[in-house]
Amino acid sequence: MTTSTTATTSATSSSTTPPASRGGASTDLGHKARGRAFKDQLARVVMWGAFLLALVPLVWILWTVGSKGYHLLLDAQWWGNSQRGITARREGGGAVHAIQGTLIQGLTTALISVPIGILTAIYLVEYGRGRLAKVVSFMVDILTGVPSIVAGLFIYALWVTTFKFQRVGFAVCLALVLLMIPVVVRSTEEMLKLVPNELREASYALGVPKWKTIMRVVLPTAFSGIVTGVLLGLARVMGETAPLLILGPYTKSIANDLFGGLMPTLPTMINQDRTESLQPAVDRMWAAALTLILLVLLLNIAGRVVSRFGSVKK
Amino acid sequence: MKIQRFGLLASVAVVGSLALTACGSDNNTGATAGGSSSGGSSSSDCPTGTLNAEGSSAQKNAIDEAISAFQDTCSGATINYNPTGSGAGIKQFLAGQVDFAGSDSALKTTEKDGKIEADEAAKFCGSPAWNLPMVTGPIAVSYNVKGVDKLVLTPEVIANIFNGKVTTWNDASIAKINSGVTLPSEPIKVFFRSDESGTTENFTKYLNAAAPSAWTAEPAKAWTGKGEGKEKSAGVAGAVKSTEGGITYAEWSYAKDNQLGIAQIDNGAGAVELNGETVGKAIATAKADGEGNDLRLKLDYATKEAGAYPINLVTYEIVCSKGKDAAKSKLTKAFLKSFASKETQASLEEIGYAPLPDEVRTKVAAAIDALS
Repeated sequence: MTTSTTATTSATSSSTTPPASRGGASTDLGHKARGRAFKDQLARVVMWGAFLLALVPLVWILWTVGSKGYHLLLDAQWWGNSQRGITARREGGGAVHAIQGTLIQGLTTALISVPIGILTAIYLVEYGRGRLAKVVSFMVDILTGVPSIVAGLFIYALWVTTFKFQRVGFAVCLALVLLMIPVVVRSTEEMLKLVPNELREASYALGVPKWKTIMRVVLPTAFSGIVTGVLLGLARVMGETAPLLILGPYTKSIANDLFGGLMPTLPTMINQDRTESLQPAVDRMWAAALTLILLVLLLNIAGRVVSRFGSVKK
Repeated sequence: MKIQRFGLLASVAVVGSLALTACGSDNNTGATAGGSSSGGSSSSDCPTGTLNAEGSSAQKNAIDEAISAFQDTCSGATINYNPTGSGAGIKQFLAGQVDFAGSDSALKTTEKDGKIEADEAAKFCGSPAWNLPMVTGPIAVSYNVKGVDKLVLTPEVIANIFNGKVTTWNDASIAKINSGVTLPSEPIKVFFRSDESGTTENFTKYLNAAAPSAWTAEPAKAWTGKGEGKEKSAGVAGAVKSTEGGITYAEWSYAKDNQLGIAQIDNGAGAVELNGETVGKAIATAKADGEGNDLRLKLDYATKEAGAYPINLVTYEIVCSKGKDAAKSKLTKAFLKSFASKETQASLEEIGYAPLPDEVRTKVAAAIDALS
C-alpha cells in the first residue's frame, strides 16, 4: 500500500519538475512554476510527515514488546513447556499450551469461516441479483460492525444459557467465526470485483460454463487478494480477547480438546499475567505478547509466499 | 490449480499444528525443584481429572500455590482457577459452569433482588451448598514514609486518614500514639481501590465496626472515602510504592511484595503487628455462623483481644455438599483436603496469607470428609 503511494508520488513529481525548469524563461510561467513547486514540496512533506507519524506507534509498540519480551523467547522451555504448576512468583514454564490453543482455535475458525465467507462473496459478485443479494450484503455490513464482546455474549447466551453446555474451546471458535466471516466476505468480494469482466466474457465465448469460469478463471485471478483477506481475518481473530474472556477462561495446562474443558490461548494468557505485579509474571506477559505478534507475522509471511506462488502468471 | 494450492496450505497448517501439539510438555517440576512444597500426606488419594473453579481474586495467589502443590503430587489431576471476582464466581457456580466457587463472603442467607443466594445454590446442587473457609488474608494498612519503620494506628485515626480529616503525617493524633517516631510534615496521600472489591468491603466493615463514630458510611464493595483511585490490589500497592507519603489498604501479600511499611493496629489492647500468629488468633475468635458443616465465620472486627490482628478477610470455597458428578466430587474432595492440610496452609504464610488456626482447620477437614 505504502510503496504504491510513494511510487505514484515520485512519478508525478518527476513529471512536474521538467516543466518548472523549462518555464524559467517566462516570468509569468516561472511564477506559476514556483507556486507549483512549493505545493509539490508541501504535499511531499505532509505525506512523509503523515507516514512517519503513523510509523511512530508501530515502531514504539514493536520496540517495547520486543525489548521486554525477547529474553524469555530465547529459552527453549518457552516453546516446549506449559505453565502448569508455575505460580506468579516463580520463573520458568513456557507458552506452548497457549500457542497451541491459539493455533487450534484460529485454524478451526478459519476452516469454518473461509468456505462460508468465500462462497458468500462469490454469490454476491457472480450470482446475487435483486432483493436477497441486498439483504445478504446488508447483513454482512451489520456483522462487520458487531463488537467482539457482543459476539461473545451471543454465543454465551446460545451455548451456555440456552443449551446448557459447558464453556469449551469450540464455543470460542463459533464466536470468532462470527467475527471472521464478514472480514473474509468483504475482502473477497472486493477482490472478485477487481477481476476484469473481459476475462469472464472470454471464457464464456469459449463455451466454458459459469461454474467452471468461476473456478478456473475468476478465483485464480483473485487468489492472492483472497489469501490476504483471509489472513487479515485470521490475524484479527487470533488477537481477539473479548469472546475468550467470556467463553474460554485461561488454564495453565495443555488442553487440545476443542470439545472438552477450557482451552488456554495467548490473549487470555496475556490477560491473566497483566493483573500480576510480580516480575516473573510480568515478564511472561511481555513474552506472550511478543509471541502473538510473531505468530501473526509468520502467518502473514506464509500467506504472502503462498499467494506469490499461487497467483496466475502474468 | 488453485484448489491444490489451498490444499497444500491447509495440509501444511494441519501438519504443523499437529507437530506442535505433539511436542509440548506439561512437566514443569524439574524447573521448580525445591520451590514447591508438596503435601506428601495425601499422596495415596490421587484421583485424576480436571476441575474448574472461579471467583475471588483475593485468594488467587494462595489457591495457585495449593494447586501447584496438589498437581505436583497428583500429576493426573488438573485444576484451573480463574480470578474473576467473588460475584462472578458464584454466578458461574449457579450456572453449573464451575465445580466450585471462591468467594470473599459466604453465600448470603438474606434476600437480595428477590433471590436468596444460599437457597439458589441449594436448589442447583440438590443439596445444601457449604461455605468452607480456606484462606485468611489479612488486610495491611500499608504506607510509604521515609524514615518511619514502625507506625501504630488506631481505628479512629485510620478512619480519619481515609475520610480525609487527617491530612499530614505529623498530625497531632498520629504523633500522640507514635511517641519516639519522627514524623515528617508532608501530606498524606490516600489511595483506594477504584474497582468493586471484597477487600474494600472488609476494610470498611472493620472501620465501621471498630470506629463507628469516625467512619459513618455503610460498608460496601465500592469505596466511599477520600483519595485517589487505582485499579486492583496491584494498582494501589504500586501507587504507594512510588509515592512518598502514600497510604492504602491491600492484602498482606501485595504489601510484602512491594516492600511497603505495614502499620501496627491498636484496637484498644495495645499495638498488634501483622503476622501469621496474630491473624490466627483473630480468626480463632471468630464465631461460627452456619449450621453443621456449613462453616461461615463471623469476624469480630472490634475485638479487644490482646495480640489479635483485627483487619482480616476470610475467603471461602463454595461447594455442593452432595456433588452431581461422582468423579468430580472425588477430585474436589481430594484437592480441598490437600488445600486444608497443615503443610499447604503453613506454606501460605510465606506469600502473605495466614494459615487457618488449628481449631478451624480441623472443622474444615471434617466438613471436607463429609462431602460426597
